[in-house]
Amino acid sequence: MRVSLCLPRAAKAHHSTNYAPFATVTYTRATHAAVLHDLAWLYRPKAAGNIRCSLFPGQGMTPERLEKLESIERVREGYAELGYICSRQIATAIYVAGHLGKPILVEGPAGVGKTELANTTAAYLELPLIRLQCYEGLDEAKALYEWRYAKQLLYTQILRDKLGEVLGEAQGLKESMDRLHAHADVFFSERFLAPRPLLKALREPSGAVLLIDEVDKSDHEFEAFLLEILSEFQVSIPELGTIKAMRRPVVFLTSNNTREMSDALKRRCLHLYVPFPDAPLEREIIQARIPEIPRNLKYQLVSFVQQVRGLDLKKQPSVSESIDWARVLLLLHANELDPDMVRQTLNVFLKFEEDIQSVDVELYGFARQAKKADVAHA
Amino acid sequence: MEHTFTNFLSALRGAEIRVSVAETLDAMKTAALMGWSDRQGLHDALAMALAKTPDEKAGFTRIFDEFFAFESFHDRREARILDESRQSEDGDLLAMLRADDRAGLVLAMQEAAIEVGVENIRFFTQRGLYTQRVLQQMGVEGVDSQIQAMGGQGGSAGQALRESRAWLFEQVRNYVEHQLSLQGAATSRELREDRLRRSRLGNLDRRDREQMRRIVEKICRRLVTLHSRRRKMKNRGQLDIRRTMRRNYGHDGVLFELEWKKRKLDRPRVMAICDVSGSVASVARFLLQFLYELHELLRDIRSFAFSGHLIEVSEYFKENIADMAAEKVMQKVGYMPTDYGESFTNFYENFLADIDRNTTIIILGDARSNNTNPKAGYLKQMHERCKRLIWLNPEPPPLWGTGDSEMRRYRPYCDLLHECNTLNHLERVVNDLLETAQKAA
Ligand SMILES: Nc1ncnc2c1ncn2[C@@H]1O[C@H](COP(=O)(O)OP(=O)(O)O)[C@@H](O)[C@H]1O
Ligand SMILES: [Mg+2]
Repeated sequence: MRVSLCLPRAAKAHHSTNYAPFATVTYTRATHAAVLHDLAWLYRPKAAGNIRCSLFPGQGMTPERLEKLESIERVREGYAELGYICSRQIATAIYVAGHLGKPILVEGPAGVGKTELANTTAAYLELPLIRLQCYEGLDEAKALYEWRYAKQLLYTQILRDKLGEVLGEAQGLKESMDRLHAHADVFFSERFLAPRPLLKALREPSGAVLLIDEVDKSDHEFEAFLLEILSEFQVSIPELGTIKAMRRPVVFLTSNNTREMSDALKRRCLHLYVPFPDAPLEREIIQARIPEIPRNLKYQLVSFVQQVRGLDLKKQPSVSESIDWARVLLLLHANELDPDMVRQTLNVFLKFEEDIQSVDVELYGFARQAKKADVAHA
Repeated sequence: MEHTFTNFLSALRGAEIRVSVAETLDAMKTAALMGWSDRQGLHDALAMALAKTPDEKAGFTRIFDEFFAFESFHDRREARILDESRQSEDGDLLAMLRADDRAGLVLAMQEAAIEVGVENIRFFTQRGLYTQRVLQQMGVEGVDSQIQAMGGQGGSAGQALRESRAWLFEQVRNYVEHQLSLQGAATSRELREDRLRRSRLGNLDRRDREQMRRIVEKICRRLVTLHSRRRKMKNRGQLDIRRTMRRNYGHDGVLFELEWKKRKLDRPRVMAICDVSGSVASVARFLLQFLYELHELLRDIRSFAFSGHLIEVSEYFKENIADMAAEKVMQKVGYMPTDYGESFTNFYENFLADIDRNTTIIILGDARSNNTNPKAGYLKQMHERCKRLIWLNPEPPPLWGTGDSEMRRYRPYCDLLHECNTLNHLERVVNDLLETAQKAA
């Protein structure tokens, strides 16, 4: 295939300089159009971070937004300004997903900032956030759209006279039905459509960040239904036809891992696993969320929490709990971790009585260790 | 690089990391986006595109580290491609050995390895052969004769050359062994899969379960793609001019994205009826596994199980673990003496009305009914109401109709009747289905 014939001008301009190394990729099964697409992508200038325009038209990112995603470093900085601290992996995921137009499936324990990541992305890209909270039994009607039956009913009442006219001299039930039927589309028009989050996200004119939160709580059926939307970014409503995304939304799916998501779903997403942060990252997060925290307290608290996570607990304290705890300690005017104060506040970051007892046993050791960590880093 | 990358993906498959076509494409785009200079970044990004469970991530990191071990390699190779300089000549090798240019040597080695096709190595015994071939390709003979000519002389320079030569041999042998471990793993997995596909379902043992599950899933997935609600059939070669023009409006009339004519298939429903009686006990678990996977993948499916009588078991498949689901079903209706007549009666009375023109009925069973009344009339009516009735029988055809098998009587009402007791059979059935459906469309 002679690639150069088919490349759009933007790609051609750089053709002779340096480009990515997969020049001779051939796909036997992809369609002609898909191959062109991908070759165009592969032939774009190689240096990451120099992308001024997307070669994937309709993929949803305006040049300004792409520019905000021009490098991993820039993502990190931009998010940090908004108070969200990205690990290297998180920033990479945002960068890659943004350029490939792929959904990200974010898995990890509760409270490590999965939901917040989507929030921050919306703020950073200045896009509306549309959130679909999943639960068992969630179905298309709640997720995609519903007909407003009540409104339809109301209108039939109000328009009773008009209906009379329509029916006119109709003879018998069948003829009346036929006549009514001819007007049915009046009632199945946008006017009576109640869009739910998924449809809203598709119809958002400037694009959106779509957060499908805690998708592991939905059932398999719903997951299968999501697959269609995630692969085509369009839905068909029998009465109205196909609705395609105005701009492809930036999609996050989060899962707390209560069940394994299907391979089919995973295949359509980039997969980002967010573990509990290591100590330096956790300190950064706390610093970002509570700028006024004393340095000593920050070091000691993080060290303490990290040690607690080494225990075999029913529920490990997460980042959100560290933050809560730090806030409480700050209210108590703590400058450092004082074992007694820790004992009184254990219930802020531990939810189970057994867990509190397990930590209580180790409390002095942990606190001493935490002080050392502080000194070591000073 | 494409070559290296393809090998990398095949090594991942060898490590039981499944990589689909779509993911391959994602990975290539990802690599193109990230570039090759930031190794850690490339690792992280590719891991997101290719490895999607903790196990897979661990395996991925291992293979990645092994594969992209020579960090300096990529930059240099790219630089060379850009310079359009030719591959190393014999003279080069000597020069590089003399200068002890290790990065250059590694690069030359990889090029030579590609040239001789080291990735085709499959067996331990081929190590020496491939090592020699790579060295020859690099032009080591010229060097050796040089060394020989010096005959232990040549002072410290000669000594350095000999050391360099020995080092190169080590490298090549390591590289070849490395390829063997990567490619050999892929092959043994293929062999194992092949064996699994051909062995009797009743004989599969526990250790094979996981892999069997994957194969079944793969097969089911193909079935589902066929059935997915908005699957679009491409009329190959038929360009949709109107939509193409519209789509490319923004490209100054350059027809960059082509639109093909599409057709939609309607949405099918599946009702699966599974025999779990004693006579099929050895395969019942497998059949249930098949149903379980179908439930994971299809939205509109209902399942029924029977031996003495029939009940709906769709609920049980909501269970998270296939084994648990199977266990529950077996507890409810398993292991009893079979009565097909009674079971079809149950189905007829309770569920006949739910069959419509879009319904595909799949029956899994041996049709051995302990000489009770087969009540084929009920099956006839089910057949008349549905779109297609498929019967999968674990017994081989010569046994159909012998003894208490009622298969002959049921046969007229089956649109498709297949022997099904290996995974290969199952796959063939799915292929048939795909074909008939495509013809029908
Ligand atoms: N990397 C981070 N940067 C800033 N804040 C964070 C980070 N991770 C977690 N948080 C904080 O933790 C809280 C809980 O995060 P959340 O997104 O609700 O967790 P999840 O959705 O993973 O259960 C957030 O409100 C946020 O303040
Ligand atoms: Mg959350």
